[in-house]
Amino acid sequence: MSKPGYKQVKRMTTFMRLNHWVVAICMVAAVITGLYIGHPYYQTFIADPAVDKYVMAWNRWVHLIVAIIFDVSSIVVAYLYFFSRFEKPYKKLIPTLKNIVEFFEVLMNLLTLNRRKKFDSSHADSFNAVFFFIFHLLLLWMLLTGLQLYVQIFPHGHSSIGAWWPWVLHFATDWTLPVSSWMIGSTASGTNVMDVRIVHHYSMWFIIVWVVFHIYYQVWRTIFWREGDIAIAFGGEKFTKVDKKV
Amino acid sequence: MSMDKQDSVKSLFTAQSAKVDTNKGDAYYEALYTQCRARLDDLKKLAPLNNRMDFKESIEEEGLERRDFLKWASATTAMLMLPASFTPLVAEAAVMMNRVPVIWIELSDCAGNSEALIRSDGPKIDEIILDIISLEFHETLMSPSGHQAEKQLEEAIEHFKGKYLLFVEGAIPRGIDGYYGTIGAKAETFVDHLERLAKDAAAVVAVGSCATFGGIPAAAPNPTDAVGVMDVVKGKPIINIPACPANPSNMVGVLLHYVLTGTVPELDSLLRPKFAFGYRIHDNCERRGHFDAGEYVEEWGDVGAKNNFCLYKVGCKGPMTFNNCSIIRYNEGVNWPIGVGRGCIGCSEPDFWDKYAYERPMANANIKAPTGGVEKTVDEFGLGLLTAAGVGIAIHAAASVVAGKKSEDSKSEENA
Repeated sequence: MSKPGYKQVKRMTTFMRLNHWVVAICMVAAVITGLYIGHPYYQTFIADPAVDKYVMAWNRWVHLIVAIIFDVSSIVVAYLYFFSRFEKPYKKLIPTLKNIVEFFEVLMNLLTLNRRKKFDSSHADSFNAVFFFIFHLLLLWMLLTGLQLYVQIFPHGHSSIGAWWPWVLHFATDWTLPVSSWMIGSTASGTNVMDVRIVHHYSMWFIIVWVVFHIYYQVWRTIFWREGDIAIAFGGEKFTKVDKKV
Repeated sequence: MSMDKQDSVKSLFTAQSAKVDTNKGDAYYEALYTQCRARLDDLKKLAPLNNRMDFKESIEEEGLERRDFLKWASATTAMLMLPASFTPLVAEAAVMMNRVPVIWIELSDCAGNSEALIRSDGPKIDEIILDIISLEFHETLMSPSGHQAEKQLEEAIEHFKGKYLLFVEGAIPRGIDGYYGTIGAKAETFVDHLERLAKDAAAVVAVGSCATFGGIPAAAPNPTDAVGVMDVVKGKPIINIPACPANPSNMVGVLLHYVLTGTVPELDSLLRPKFAFGYRIHDNCERRGHFDAGEYVEEWGDVGAKNNFCLYKVGCKGPMTFNNCSIIRYNEGVNWPIGVGRGCIGCSEPDFWDKYAYERPMANANIKAPTGGVEKTVDEFGLGLLTAAGVGIAIHAAASVVAGKKSEDSKSEENA
């Protein structure tokens, strides 16, 4: 049911919405537990026996489990980037003239407070595609640095699922050591996990900033465009004017 | 990125992994056994060097029994991650330690590693072994000084060319052409001194955090541009034994390994022997259970401190520090920092003074580091960035409210 002159357009499939909220919950959980791991900011009841408390262990458990859910969902999203039957986000990322023009048009729309709107807002646009791509890069970096910190628990090279797993982690993430060291401008003779941890910590803040802008922008679009954009994340659909074709 | 960093990236990718392989299979150990046997037989033919001390006599003089020595030998075999069958070889190698010449030099440092080398509550076997090694030159410990000392050094270099192990203690200042640190009457800079001595060494052993990674002299803002041995010496095998001070047991381990096999032990990407630096303090910490339980010392002297709770919250860096203190401890296993209720300050890690050695939780540091601060900067920067984004959003939102919900077609819409 829609207002006369408007039609409904499908923007997110059920899976995409499910993924969106799983990721959102994971992120909140990862930030809450991650901050505790870096600095245990609440105390445990001192009289409780240790076996009942297990607070740091639970925090790490939650942090690592949501990280794994996050990672796996990222792999699925990466697949959908190219092979989704609904829409293939990579198409909006290729720097063709059309996409570049659209990117700046959407940006201008935001900067002119919707005074200028010369693009089709019924489908996913290049600006959001780039914005989300930055997010995916941040997530990938978080994943790699996180796994580098994680592999430190296997100094012996064994894990419950076999020796291949720590080996894979080392192979895939050891390069983050010198890169992190370079990122924080370390002048030390060698690299160490502390550099990776600092960068992991920094990246959290970038992701939080990203989320703040994301929520603001989607709400802003909803208010200014009056096309019900915020509903995309819940119902999967928004509205667009029938008579207006760009 | 400098060439060194590129090289380290390259070596990281080509390294099998950082893992510590404690069982390399029978074939490997059999071959190693044969190699060690041959090496020891060769050494046996050599006469002991200048050192007059005899190991067996020294042990007896200190009132230790042969049984103590054999206990030590099996513990050391385990520390070197060798099978128990190597114990007799280790015992034999220990007795022949006086056949390997060692030259020990001191650069920018506090002589803390020399202190660790010679001091303990009572000489135990590690210390005795370090007594009987053929220490050809050690400024702090030797009796000659001035020209006599220099002469001794020149003779040692000449006599043991290509055979001696060069132990280096202290960082190397490179600022103002190296003139922050000079030695001898000719004011030879530390850089030149180290390069000259390293040239004829069989291998260079960097002892302590200053010699390995620059340590405290290299702490921000590093006025003398101090660096570790591996940044100066090229084309020689280098073994790093960091920590402040380096654990004498690990020095003995490296020496023994050299005497035993004639090679340097397996090293990690920071050139630290894996047998000593393969595990984190955290992995074998006696207070680990309290970490998992979330039981932390909240402030010094509280109930938690009295119950030996985890020191993470008062700044322990055990989870980020690779060393074997939590296994072998110091002074023949008497105690170690966490054991006495102080957190680990990560003294065996690069840049430890700037990145580890603050007695606050990881995310709560406010110290000057090369980046202008470590953890606290991260949070302050993050909060600042978030505030900036919030302010930007607020401005945009306020402007949106003031401007109203207009759009190109708003007129037609309102009419509709």
